[in-house]
Amino acid sequence: MNEREVLEQWKKSSIKIGTPTNIIAALTAFIPVLWLCTRYDCWPPFSTVMTAWGLIVASFGALYFVEPISYYASLGLSGTYLGFLSGNIGNMRVPCAALALDVTESTPGTIQAEIVSTMAICGSIITNLIATTSAVIVGGAVLSVLPEFIVDGLTRYASAAIFGATFGNFATKYPQVAIFALAIPVLLKLFTGFSAALVILCTVFGTLFIARIMYKKGIVE
Amino acid sequence: MDNVSLVSEVSNAPILWLLCGITVGISALQAALYMRQSKKMTAQISLDPAVPKKAFRVGLISAIGPALGVFIVMVGLMASIGGPMSWFRLSIIGAAATELSAANIGAEACGVVLGSQDYTLMCLAVSWFAMALNGAGWLVFTGVATPSLDKLRTKISGGDINWLVVLSSACSLGIFGYLNAGEIMKGIGNTIAVVTGAVSMVLLMNTICKKYPKLKEYSLGIAMVIGMIFSVGFDQLIK
Repeated sequence: MNEREVLEQWKKSSIKIGTPTNIIAALTAFIPVLWLCTRYDCWPPFSTVMTAWGLIVASFGALYFVEPISYYASLGLSGTYLGFLSGNIGNMRVPCAALALDVTESTPGTIQAEIVSTMAICGSIITNLIATTSAVIVGGAVLSVLPEFIVDGLTRYASAAIFGATFGNFATKYPQVAIFALAIPVLLKLFTGFSAALVILCTVFGTLFIARIMYKKGIVE
Repeated sequence: MDNVSLVSEVSNAPILWLLCGITVGISALQAALYMRQSKKMTAQISLDPAVPKKAFRVGLISAIGPALGVFIVMVGLMASIGGPMSWFRLSIIGAAATELSAANIGAEACGVVLGSQDYTLMCLAVSWFAMALNGAGWLVFTGVATPSLDKLRTKISGGDINWLVVLSSACSLGIFGYLNAGEIMKGIGNTIAVVTGAVSMVLLMNTICKKYPKLKEYSLGIAMVIGMIFSVGFDQLIK
C-alpha cells in the first residue's frame, strides 16, 4: 500500500472511532443534570433553559465552528476528535502535539505525523486525568501548604508562558509570518470591538493569506 | 436547610462521581482506541516503534506543566460548582473559565447570582444544563464535521506538500498569536511570561537541545517554569 492509501485507511478508522465517541459524550454529559432534576424534582421551566442556551450560544456559539477549523491543521484528524473531547486544547494538546512532531522530526500531513500527534495527545490526556483526579483527593491539602506565590504563578502565568513558548518555537521557523500572526490580533483587540471568534478568524485566515503570498514569492518555504 | 448548603450538598453527592464518570470513561476509552489504532498502523507501515513511544512520552511529560495549572484552578472551581462537576468538566471538554461562565449564565437566566441564597436547586439544574449544552456545541460539531475539515485542508493545500507544511505552521502561529495577544493585553506580568517563555523556548531548542536532543522532550516544561519565575519575580519586585 502506498502512503496515500495508508492515510485514507487511517482516516476512515479515525472517523469510525471519533464520530460516535464525541456524539455519545455530548449526550452522556446530560446524565448528571437529568439525575438532579429527577431525584429532587426540580425541573426548571423549559423557557429558562432555552434562555440560558441562547445566552450561551451568543457568548460561545461561533467558537464551536471557529476553533475546530483553526486548530485542525495542528491537531490532525484523530487529534481533533481527541482534543475537543478532552479539552485544554491551546494550553495542552496542541503544544504537546507540536513538540512531539518536532522531537520525532515528523512532517505535517504524513501518516507518521498523524500517529505521533495522536500518541502525544493520548499521553497528555493521561497526565491531565491524573491531575484532575488528584486535585479531588489531595487538592485542598496541597494548596494550603504551597506558598502563595507559587499558586499565584501557576494560576496567572502558566498558560501565558506555554502560549509564548509554543509560539516562539513556531516563530523561529517562520519569523516573517510570526510578526503578522501576533500583530493582527493585537491591533484588532486594541482598535476594534470584534468578538473573540471574529478575531480568531481574522487572525488565522489573515496569517494564512500572508503566508500564502510569502510562499508564492519564495520568502518562506 | 438553607439553599446554599442544600446546593452544596447536592452538588457533592457521592453518586454524582459515578454519573460524571461515565463521560470521563468515554474520553478514556476514546484515547485507548486511538492508541490501539496507532499501534496497529505503526506495525503496518513498519515505522520504528520507538517513534510513537517517544511521542507518547513527550505528551505525558509536557502536559505536566499545564496540568499543574489545571490542578490549582480545579481546587478553586470545586468551591463554586462542587467536586464531581469540576472533575468532570476539567477532565473533558472544558476550561475553567468557560465552565464558570456557563454556570453563571445559568444563574443569570434564573435571575439570581451563582452561589447566593436565591440560587436554588432549580437554578443549579439550569447551570448544569447550560454547561452540558455548551460542551455539546463543540462535541457535536467535531463529531459531525471533522471529516469535512480534512477535505477543507486538502482543498486549501491543493495537494502541494511543501505548502501544507507552511499552512499548518501558519494556522498554529495564527491561533497562538491570538492566545498570546490576549495574555499581553492582561498586563505586564503576563507579557513577561509570554516573552520569557518564548525566548527561553527558542534558546533551549537552538542551543542546549541541539547538544542534548533528549532534553527536547522537557523543553516546554522548562520554558514554562522560566516564564513563570520571571513573572512572579516581577510581581514580588514591584510589591
